[in-house]
Amino acid sequence: MALRWSRMSPQFALTPAVVITLVAFVGSIVWTIYVSFTTSKAFATYGIDFADWARQYERLFKDKGWTIALKNMLVLGVGSFLAIVFGFILAAMIDREKRGEGFFRTVFLYPLAVSLIVTGVAWRWMFNPSFGLQGALHSIGLTWISFDWLSKPETAMYGIILASVWQGAGFYMALMLSGLKSINTEIWSAARLDGVSFWRLYAEIIIPMMKFTFLTCAILLSLGVVKAYDIVVAMTNGGPGQATWVPGYFTINAYWVKSNLAYASAAAVLMLVITGLIFLPLVLLTAWRERSRTA
Amino acid sequence: MPRVIFEDIIKSYGKLTVLKNLDLAINDGEFLVLLGPSGCGKTTLLNLLAGLLDVTAGRIMIGDRDVTDLDPKDRGLAMVFQSYALYPTKTVRGNLKFGLAAHKLEKAEIEQRISWAAKLLQIEPLLDRKPAQLSGGQRQRVAIGRALVKKVGVFLFDEPLSNLDAKLRTEMRLEIKKLHDELKSTIVYVTHDQIEAMTMATRIAVMDAGVIQQFGTPDEIYGRPANLFVAGFIGSPAMNLRPATLSVSGSTVAARAAGVDLDVSRYGFTTPPRDGQSVVIGLRPEHFGEPDAAVADPAGNFSLPVQYSEKTGSDATAYLKFGDGLIATRVDPEQIGRFKQGDTVNISFPQGKLHVFDAQSGRRL
Amino acid sequence: MSMVMQSGEALVDSAPRFPRKRKGISGRSIAILVFLSICAAFFMVPLYVIITTSFKTMEQIREGAIFSLPSPITIEPWINAWDNACSGIRCEGLKVGFWNSVAILLPSLALSMILSSVTGYALALWNVRWAGTFLFVLFICAFVPFQIIMIPLIILSSGLKVYGTIWGIAIIHAVLSMPFLTLVFRNYYKGIPQEIMSAAMMDSGSFWRIFGEIIVPMSGNIFIVVLILQVTSIWNDFLLGLTFGGLGTQPMSVVLANVVITTTGEAAYNENMAAALLTAIPPLVIYFVLGKFFVQGITAGAIKG
Repeated sequence: MALRWSRMSPQFALTPAVVITLVAFVGSIVWTIYVSFTTSKAFATYGIDFADWARQYERLFKDKGWTIALKNMLVLGVGSFLAIVFGFILAAMIDREKRGEGFFRTVFLYPLAVSLIVTGVAWRWMFNPSFGLQGALHSIGLTWISFDWLSKPETAMYGIILASVWQGAGFYMALMLSGLKSINTEIWSAARLDGVSFWRLYAEIIIPMMKFTFLTCAILLSLGVVKAYDIVVAMTNGGPGQATWVPGYFTINAYWVKSNLAYASAAAVLMLVITGLIFLPLVLLTAWRERSRTA
Repeated sequence: MPRVIFEDIIKSYGKLTVLKNLDLAINDGEFLVLLGPSGCGKTTLLNLLAGLLDVTAGRIMIGDRDVTDLDPKDRGLAMVFQSYALYPTKTVRGNLKFGLAAHKLEKAEIEQRISWAAKLLQIEPLLDRKPAQLSGGQRQRVAIGRALVKKVGVFLFDEPLSNLDAKLRTEMRLEIKKLHDELKSTIVYVTHDQIEAMTMATRIAVMDAGVIQQFGTPDEIYGRPANLFVAGFIGSPAMNLRPATLSVSGSTVAARAAGVDLDVSRYGFTTPPRDGQSVVIGLRPEHFGEPDAAVADPAGNFSLPVQYSEKTGSDATAYLKFGDGLIATRVDPEQIGRFKQGDTVNISFPQGKLHVFDAQSGRRL
Repeated sequence: MSMVMQSGEALVDSAPRFPRKRKGISGRSIAILVFLSICAAFFMVPLYVIITTSFKTMEQIREGAIFSLPSPITIEPWINAWDNACSGIRCEGLKVGFWNSVAILLPSLALSMILSSVTGYALALWNVRWAGTFLFVLFICAFVPFQIIMIPLIILSSGLKVYGTIWGIAIIHAVLSMPFLTLVFRNYYKGIPQEIMSAAMMDSGSFWRIFGEIIVPMSGNIFIVVLILQVTSIWNDFLLGLTFGGLGTQPMSVVLANVVITTTGEAAYNENMAAALLTAIPPLVIYFVLGKFFVQGITAGAIKG
């Protein structure tokens, strides 16, 4: 077929994006995977010792810091799920009771406009053992409440979870609200005519109808958990000790503090693998939907 | 001299073939209507001509240029779209002007063309409005105007009237016809509406399943449908088609359908009829005679019970029981009282208006 | 029929024959509103606390009453935070970070908007055979963790001599946001009727001319949505600024973190809170003024993706 300019110009216009994708994403990912099998320290070296190619990964799993990071990631993931539940409850209530919808939406969502660093700084101050919330509670005699979570290794993660939920619940509320609004209004009318009770309506009709919204929320939340970094830096900077290390923090620490390129790369590769695992249900679900549609 | 020629066009998407070895030549100054049900490939054919789609195989000529591999803008065509496809952010003037984007024209020439088209279509007062401020009919005019300013030899219309209400549709139909008479340009017009086709076309190409079923003038299409598809598609209410068997004895030929013999001796058979041949006979509802009155040269007289009848204001149709099916007959609405349910009426059908098709191939005999 | 008409006419000027009781607010509504208000308080408390703290003197803070209103009110913490708060050994306040953030924001916005809108337009409205594959790759790229590409990007940007510069950070922002923003633009442009594009192909056929004259004027909303999304995400970014910022080119959030975390001696909590507020003000202003677009932006990718 003859060469046509109209065919060339879109391809020409796509060149920058393709180059960026190939270099900054695909190429960089391949590079990092490769380097994770080398013995690079502060600088990249490209020799692979094939007898001991998985050494960085073996080291990782023996590293207490990495184990803590993985465990914290799970804790953060489970804890942050509260944000979805909380977000759904808020959305359902706002949707039910139209009064004050604009006001509540604005209030619940504003933390999202604030950076995680600011969020962390604000909550760090609230958690301050002497002058923060605990001080205020103790001064009115509620001395049995302790709210100095960040300074204790056992509770520091919960502090981070609380701040994350505070920051993220509004986002899930917004997603849920648009999901609820997309439900055909006739369903509400039909349920009213049939006299279906409030709880059954939600449990048996609304929530099942929104399962795709829930899945989207769950995936976005999980991805956020794998990437978590800013909030940890701002609230605890990984401490006390290594108590609040997460994979993102571990990787950056391995590169900047330990100056170990190959080690950081191996940790990053595992982060990528975890991300892939999170996407798996979505991919399977999409494939299943395609198949049931064609069948 | 043909203006547009399609030669052996094939268009397929993967395994699905939409157009099969299609040939079509459109004369200069012709108003050609591509008519067919949705999915028949008529819009695909138009888009191939426009260059919006690429042929899988075949050649498209416009004038003496092979345009198969040319960009849409280089083909010397203008097109009016079903949804009008006006640029929503541009004024009417801006829309017409952008229509000339590919032509490197002087300012004065552009202005002159815009005012010419605006005058012709009576959209001068609308020139500085945005499409959202126009009514459906006005948008339609602007869309036509955007095509006109290009002053090309061939105009393409893709179901341009289907988004208008019935009254406007009739108006615009006349106007497009008038434009064609004035400009003497070639028009290729896609529609699924047979009234549009019958009223506007100089020739109609009836399409189905990616094949041109018949190509001819509206009179030919209506009067001598080439096959069962065309016979059933053209006409409203649709032609009554009934299976029958031919019996030939000497110079008399009869078609027996549902126990009734129809005399088809003077039917203009293109191939000699065989005794015992399975055929389909076609009777247009509007060609039945009045009840209880004989027609000249009848093919048969029927005495049939009325199943039901319906009125549509200016028209009325009665459905009569014929064998195990129904046949529709057009009735003068004043006479509808004579077609009461359960009554038996005597009507006849003139032999000259009969259609006979081969049952196997579906072709006209 | 006529009966109804008559009674209807008769009622025009008189009181309704069957007046309804005004519905009061139901118990359930009250319960819901109370619950929502408590939640609203939970969301507002941190904002209240940092605002009041930022106007307090250190003496008052040491009293430990976190919820008390500032008395006396002082703006000294704000001045200090802006002008001479220390991060590490440098005591230049947040102002340097603020201007760095602005300097990063502008070129990076321009770059990312142009790059992703053109890419989205080409992928949505032009026939590119490998568009499907490319979109899939972009979708993956939009979600990979930054750490997996961090080290090569550092090496690359050092090689290009932009590491540690304002331009370096700006370019990195544009590059890393490209996949996601392209998907957002592409989804929007997919909604433009095919016939408009066909008409434009027949009228002009020029890729750039159609983009400039037809498509860009039709994409007002999406440009605002993406703009707001980008402004807030670039302004709020910490990791990229930390990774690619050099001494003196760090964006505001990095300076803020340094001010708060690297304190020696007793922390100036009021200053820290003022610094946090200073950093949060630009995105908050955008949120409260253009909230509608902000919500569209953050949900754009999630719902369609």
